[in-house]
Amino acid sequence: MAQAIGETPHNTFTCQLCGLSSPYTYYGQKPPNTRAIVLLEECFVTRDPFSPDRDKFLVLGSTCSLCNTCVCVGSDCSLFYTKRFCMQCVNKHLDQFPSQIQTELAKKNPSPRPAVS
Amino acid sequence: MDAERRRESRSWDWDSPQCRAQLDEIFFRQHDYIQAGSSEHKEFWAFFERFQRFKTKRDMSVSKGGSSKEDRDGKDRRKTGHVDLGLPKEYDARYRINVSVCTRDVEERVGKTEHRSKHRSSGPGSQEISDFRLTLLHFLDFNQRQSFGKLAKLRREQKNLPIFHYRDRIVELVRSHPVVVVAGDTGCGKSTQVPQYLLSAGFNNVACTQPRRIACISLAKRVSFESLNQYGSKVGYQIRFETTRTTATKLLFLTEGLLLRQIQQDKTLAQYEVVIVDEVHERHLHCDFLLGVLRSLLSDRPDLRLILMSATINIKLFSDYFNSAPVLQVPGRLFPIQVIYQPIPPEEQPSRSEKLDPRPYLRILQGIDQRYPPEERGDLLLFLSGVAEISSIQEACQVYATHTRRWIVLPLHSTLSLAQQDKVFDIAPPGVRKCIISTNIAETSVTIDGVRFVVDSGKVKEMSFDPKAKMQRLQEFWISRASSEQRKGRAGRTGPGVCYRLYAESDYDAFAPYPVPEIHRVALDSLILQMKSMSLGDPLSFVFIDPPPAASIQTAVTYLKEQGALDNHCELTSIGSLLAQLPVDVVIGKMLVLGSLFNLVEPVLTVAAALSVQSPFLRSSQQNPDCATARQPLHSNQGDPFSLLNTFNAWVEVKGERGGGSRKWCRRRGLEEQRLYEMVNLRRQFKDLLRSHELLESEDCTSSSGDRGQRRERITERRKLHQMKRDHEQQEGTKRKVLKLEEGQDGEFSSGSDTEEAGRRKKSKESSGQDVDIQEVKFKLRHNVTELQEAVGVSQDLSSRQQALLKLLLCRGLYPQLALPDEHNSTRKDSDQVFHTKNKHGVVVHPTSVFASDPEVLQVPEDNASEMGSDKKDSSKHQLLAFVTLLETNKPYLSNCVRVPALQALLLVANSVDSNADCTRLVIDGWLEVELREAEEALKVLSSALTLRAEWERMLQAKLGQNKMEDSAVSGVTRKMVEKLSDGLVRFLLYTEITYSLRRLAALQVQNLYIGPRSESELCHMKALDLNPLFPGAEAKPDPIKGGLRVTSFFTYNCLADSKDLYSECLRTFWSCPNCDLYMPLTPLERMQHEATCRPAGEQQQLEEEAEKGKTGSVSSLTRVYHCDVCNEDLKLTSTEILKHKRQHMYSAK
Ligand SMILES: [Zn+2]
Ligand SMILES: [Zn+2]
Repeated sequence: MAQAIGETPHNTFTCQLCGLSSPYTYYGQKPPNTRAIVLLEECFVTRDPFSPDRDKFLVLGSTCSLCNTCVCVGSDCSLFYTKRFCMQCVNKHLDQFPSQIQTELAKKNPSPRPAVS
Repeated sequence: MDAERRRESRSWDWDSPQCRAQLDEIFFRQHDYIQAGSSEHKEFWAFFERFQRFKTKRDMSVSKGGSSKEDRDGKDRRKTGHVDLGLPKEYDARYRINVSVCTRDVEERVGKTEHRSKHRSSGPGSQEISDFRLTLLHFLDFNQRQSFGKLAKLRREQKNLPIFHYRDRIVELVRSHPVVVVAGDTGCGKSTQVPQYLLSAGFNNVACTQPRRIACISLAKRVSFESLNQYGSKVGYQIRFETTRTTATKLLFLTEGLLLRQIQQDKTLAQYEVVIVDEVHERHLHCDFLLGVLRSLLSDRPDLRLILMSATINIKLFSDYFNSAPVLQVPGRLFPIQVIYQPIPPEEQPSRSEKLDPRPYLRILQGIDQRYPPEERGDLLLFLSGVAEISSIQEACQVYATHTRRWIVLPLHSTLSLAQQDKVFDIAPPGVRKCIISTNIAETSVTIDGVRFVVDSGKVKEMSFDPKAKMQRLQEFWISRASSEQRKGRAGRTGPGVCYRLYAESDYDAFAPYPVPEIHRVALDSLILQMKSMSLGDPLSFVFIDPPPAASIQTAVTYLKEQGALDNHCELTSIGSLLAQLPVDVVIGKMLVLGSLFNLVEPVLTVAAALSVQSPFLRSSQQNPDCATARQPLHSNQGDPFSLLNTFNAWVEVKGERGGGSRKWCRRRGLEEQRLYEMVNLRRQFKDLLRSHELLESEDCTSSSGDRGQRRERITERRKLHQMKRDHEQQEGTKRKVLKLEEGQDGEFSSGSDTEEAGRRKKSKESSGQDVDIQEVKFKLRHNVTELQEAVGVSQDLSSRQQALLKLLLCRGLYPQLALPDEHNSTRKDSDQVFHTKNKHGVVVHPTSVFASDPEVLQVPEDNASEMGSDKKDSSKHQLLAFVTLLETNKPYLSNCVRVPALQALLLVANSVDSNADCTRLVIDGWLEVELREAEEALKVLSSALTLRAEWERMLQAKLGQNKMEDSAVSGVTRKMVEKLSDGLVRFLLYTEITYSLRRLAALQVQNLYIGPRSESELCHMKALDLNPLFPGAEAKPDPIKGGLRVTSFFTYNCLADSKDLYSECLRTFWSCPNCDLYMPLTPLERMQHEATCRPAGEQQQLEEEAEKGKTGSVSSLTRVYHCDVCNEDLKLTSTEILKHKRQHMYSAK
């Protein structure tokens, strides 16, 4: 559990697919001051900048359970379905995902979009 | 089990508050992630309801059901050659959530079996608990998605800004160069992004200046949001009365003027690592000056980084000024704009006196209606030169708008109320366009989104200073090509646009490339004063980016000398150095200093503050009879500053009694409350400044402490107020109203309905409980109302004596801004009253002034009129107007006037008083002539004035010098002395009953005013006469230019050319002093001299005792060393004694 207090420019999370980058303050499954909350994966976490409450957290991203790519939680970059999958892996194994997810993705991306770096 | 569950469900009601409370106790306890009672808790329950509804709907549509059991094997899904992801077979949305909530409490309730729930049939069963937990997880996930969505959107927007590609280049340039110029047009993102790039590159303590206060606030807000520090203080702003700066602040937005003041305190600006000067192309006075100061500061701070940010205008000028600093040019982001030149045909050109012809403007509106379908959105922005032009075009457009129902016409200029200005940001209903008619305020200061059409009249009204007439002038000019492009650009911010130019392309080509920089247009008094106080040497040799004309600097220096801020060697006087620190005009600063001497600080503070902000009286309400009636009691026919004083006092009283009710009170009177808030803040700043200069005693802290209970109460209240302020800031700017079609109709000309409209809107807001008067909250946070009421109470009911003294102080502050009523005013209509200043003849009082509606108070009473002739009216009631501004628009107007008794005021404040031999004729400042009937009286009044002035000056200097000799407990000015002086001044002002005529000298008379220097022999024996004791420091000697005898720095005796008898100065008449036993023949001058020092016996003694007590001597001692040439001896005598002593010799010599 790497936990950093305060925001230093060294701890920067960067999504390897979309390039989104933002400083993170915690990496792991149990962000500080969140009481009963547990994350089901190891995440890059920061304080939620849009909440006035200092203890609210925001998950920025995590690593793909298959290929270990660092991805943000944005729906263009990754999907969580019991585990984290980067969009590249999702597309590779699309047939294993339930039909609900398949149709959803097909609706969103009529043509497979190349990842932006 | 199923039956049991059903029974439980029957007793379990999700909507019942008790059931909900039970869940709150399990999930939302004091230490949980979400606490009961928090705003998030409220949001959760709202979400809960939405989610329940959603579930019900889904359950109904997928009624075929199916096991919701987890099925983790999913073997049947496996395809050859593929990795098994191990995904559950059945889809469930819960698998998409990466968050879980588990406490022992929850686990127990979910895990424990039925026997327990049997007993607790009223509590939530395991099913309820797990349903509830699932909803909570969905809620948490929903919040995560929302926040992440915001973050992603933010990053996307940042990336899409044109400047984003230059990010690394900028940082690199700043690292390697002391000065960098970043040039980019509207929309490139430089103002918000460059500071952030620097912060993330590791720079700390970055200052970024802005020409406007409002930009400081909005940029700080935006940048702190973008840098994910919305609720921290990493990014802050600092403006005149407000700051969000803390020790944690790394990036500060501040005004140019404020940075200059910081340099005054902190010569090397050690507190900053980087200074960004934004919008340098606007060429404001402060900005030009700031660049000069920073340029010279760089040599002391080689590590300081300076970044100039500009539109792509005249970039070379800035680069060259800083030793060819590197320039980084960033393209703007504007959509294509079609330019259409539509010059106004000659028959529709406005002639000088007529109103603007609206036809060219209406044609454009019609054209838009014909060419563009109403469902294609896009508003219109119309640039005109001034307020009068706006109202005439608005009127015509409104008629068209009412007819077509396709437009909402809204004016925009700085004299509108803030609420009215704010309307331009509201949204028009579908099928309707906004037509915003604006001054050049919308060119840079105000940015309105959604504008697709721009109409540019090509005209602007600009303020310039005429040093000859000492007058500001608001004149209409063609704009520059740079402004023209700026206006055009306003059409292409959100999509492709059209710009209609109401001039020919050849006109455009003939425009000046850039606007005239402010430094070439305005009076430089404050600038020169500030330069002096920053020890920047000779202003003429200062390296400005674009030096102002030398004559303009010279005018300012002369003016500052006249005002006593600079001495004869152009060095700062003690009053000057104080004035340099006050962020106001010199005249207003002077009032403050003068007021601090007398017991009139409170009203002077208010008046000074009131005269430094825009008038709170809204012009649009003037025609409204209800407002006029409600305002009536606030008016004072003593002058406009007194009306302002009354208004402020009444407002503070309302604040104390009704708090937030003041808003309504203001609206009813047509007052812009914002101005009153500005006044109260400014007033406070003035008070602090006076205190820090020890011109005002520090308040004893007793009033603020109170007893413990009160203190605690105040702390609690403050906490509540802070919370309200935060809440307000959070929800601010989130919602924009949709305008009503009728909106434009109740604009300027019928403000009655406008106030009602505003009232209605407010009421509906209040009922929804969202209406917080944020100004009232800020006011309460900043000021202690009780204290303020006490302070104001002092100036509430001024006695006529205090009023007279206050008027004198204002007059001395405003001097030489005096105007004489024309002698024929009594025969003119009220609206045609004419006045004259020394440099400008034929000016009028501004219609907003009390003297415009009530000019009779300025007229000399008829019964006093003399029989001597019509042009020389003798009276003891002549009055003058002291004024704050003389501004020429279509006429030269005097604003903010106060009336003062003419002769008395002149003798007490004028810089030059010249007399004839018997002092029955006086010429003041070379333009006003006073003729007194009685020589005896003339001498008496002149003599008292000289005495009072000398005393006043002595005390003022002592007061100003006081802070320098800190340790001595002896103050140079005792309360008693002040009381005596004010008493003397008041008596002089109110009870001088002397008949005289007052007129302006004709040009020819001015030429032959003085006798000029005389030969030695003609000088009688004047030289021998020692006048020194009368006015210490002033040597009475022949005036080399005027002739006559220069008695004090302002009074020259017997220098007027038409003196009946040159030798009457030597003529002695017997005179007996009413105070002492002196009875002897004296010349007029000798007599004045005696009067100046001779006091009634009792008083004399008292004074001498006081002088004895205060060992400083310089101020109050009346005796001095006199060397008598005849006796050849040093004698310690009072001036009267000296006179007597000399007289002895004279008689014995005969
Ligand atoms: Zn991503
Ligand atoms: Zn992957």
